[in-house]
Amino acid sequence: MTTTKAHGPTAKMDIRGVSKTFDTRAGAVHALDRCDLAIREGEFVVVVGPSGCGKSTLMMIAAGLEAPSTGQILVDGKPAGPAGPQRTVVFQRFALFPSETVAQNIAFGLRVAGVDRAERARRVTEQLEFMRLSQFRDAYPHELSGGMQQRVAIARALVVRPEILLMDEPFGALDAQTRTVLQEEVARLSREMNYTVMFITHSVEEAVYLGDRVVVMSSRPGRIKKEIAIPRDAGWRRLDIEEASSEPGFIELKREIWALIRTEIVRQ
Amino acid sequence: MATRVRSFWRTPPGKIAWLAICLGSIVVLLGAWWYLTRPGGGISPLFLPPPDEVLDAFVRLLSRPYLGSTLGQHIAASLEVVMTGWLAAGLVGLPLGIAMGWWRKARWVAFPIFQVLRPVPPLAWIPLAIVWLGIGESARVFVVFIAAIVPWVMNSMQAVYSIDALLVSAALTLGANDRQILTRVVCRTALPTLVAGARISLGNAWTTLVAAELLAATSGLGYIALNASRTLEIGILLVAMAIIGVLGALFSVIMQLVTRIVAPWSRANAEGA
Repeated sequence: MTTTKAHGPTAKMDIRGVSKTFDTRAGAVHALDRCDLAIREGEFVVVVGPSGCGKSTLMMIAAGLEAPSTGQILVDGKPAGPAGPQRTVVFQRFALFPSETVAQNIAFGLRVAGVDRAERARRVTEQLEFMRLSQFRDAYPHELSGGMQQRVAIARALVVRPEILLMDEPFGALDAQTRTVLQEEVARLSREMNYTVMFITHSVEEAVYLGDRVVVMSSRPGRIKKEIAIPRDAGWRRLDIEEASSEPGFIELKREIWALIRTEIVRQ
Repeated sequence: MATRVRSFWRTPPGKIAWLAICLGSIVVLLGAWWYLTRPGGGISPLFLPPPDEVLDAFVRLLSRPYLGSTLGQHIAASLEVVMTGWLAAGLVGLPLGIAMGWWRKARWVAFPIFQVLRPVPPLAWIPLAIVWLGIGESARVFVVFIAAIVPWVMNSMQAVYSIDALLVSAALTLGANDRQILTRVVCRTALPTLVAGARISLGNAWTTLVAAELLAATSGLGYIALNASRTLEIGILLVAMAIIGVLGALFSVIMQLVTRIVAPWSRANAEGA
């Protein structure tokens, strides 16, 4: 296994020296400590770590929803600025607009950007087809299952053509079967469309299955502990997750990453 | 038998069964009323006239003017005041409440005022209204306005304030600016709660108006009720009370319909009857 660090002008998103300290009543809490992470164009980076290690905070900072205490976020070498459609987010709790239909939810980012009606309709229809949601276009979120709602959220985040897609434990609120289906769906997406993705999870299996690179974080204060590249041509890439997880290479990687996390949990 | 009765109450009734239950309880009430007020029934018609006398009073009210106005004019007078006061309160209270829910500075400034206003019963404003505005329509509109604005502000504020912050985050990452978030996400999501606030406000306005008419009016349903009690025309008094009740219930139903129309996606619609 090779450990890589991708720095330099080729990075799509560059997280540079990001630290975060929260002031609470109990005193200062150091959530993140000098995190460096560069994500190349078309790369699928999965961040794993023990719970409470600050991986979600790192994502909120990457999204521009939270300000870092030190450090900065660069996209294509320029400071990223506040949250916006250049970095869209898929949240664990879906965060669909309850008053809008599936099609309206997906159209939201286009509408606020002032994309004209015809173009909007075309892109929403295309996205609905791509995510296999066409028959639900006029349904309201509360009429859909959790898995369907998350597909809508993914479609809504993709339709604005972000530079990078941020996914914060997107399958954490789903049942095991739905999760499997969506994991395979996301694997298909990243294969076909070559999106740049930063993906947070606590599931090592998910990380190995989806990632081009798995980033392991230390326990609090969160640091980047190790980065592990997953070969693009790994034999299990075209298998479904059930089969993939019994491949020797897959098991080997899973064990290696899990051992890293385990030492962090024990250290806490 | 006991288990059958219990299971009857446990399963929600169908539409026809529900209607039958409604009718049944009304029939039982009327029956008891008729039974107790029949000659020798124990209740003097001076205190509670039998149902047929009340019906007579209703017919009489319909057929000729009472206290200088027809029944329709009395109802119109009440409705005009309640609608003016309630809508004026909404015009101020709805945007103010939304602003207080959205900008904490607005909340800091305005919330204490409403905290103090809230416990003052609207009726306590009547003497002041009479001093300021006399025994006229404007005094009643003012009292209704006071009664309506407090729930309208408080509920609107709560509706906006309790919007899931994650929706705002999602809108931000999709590129929405503050104005778009407020109009497209916050207000739309809060709509069912905003309408619920309007409904509570209308209910308050209505009960307060009737009370205000007891004190400061020359027409209206409350005015009818007050005069009927002075002249011991209990039948007319009961008719006025019944109309007040039916109209109040009607407002509530209409506002529920409004929710269904403006927010067809609201979960609340699926639950209520």
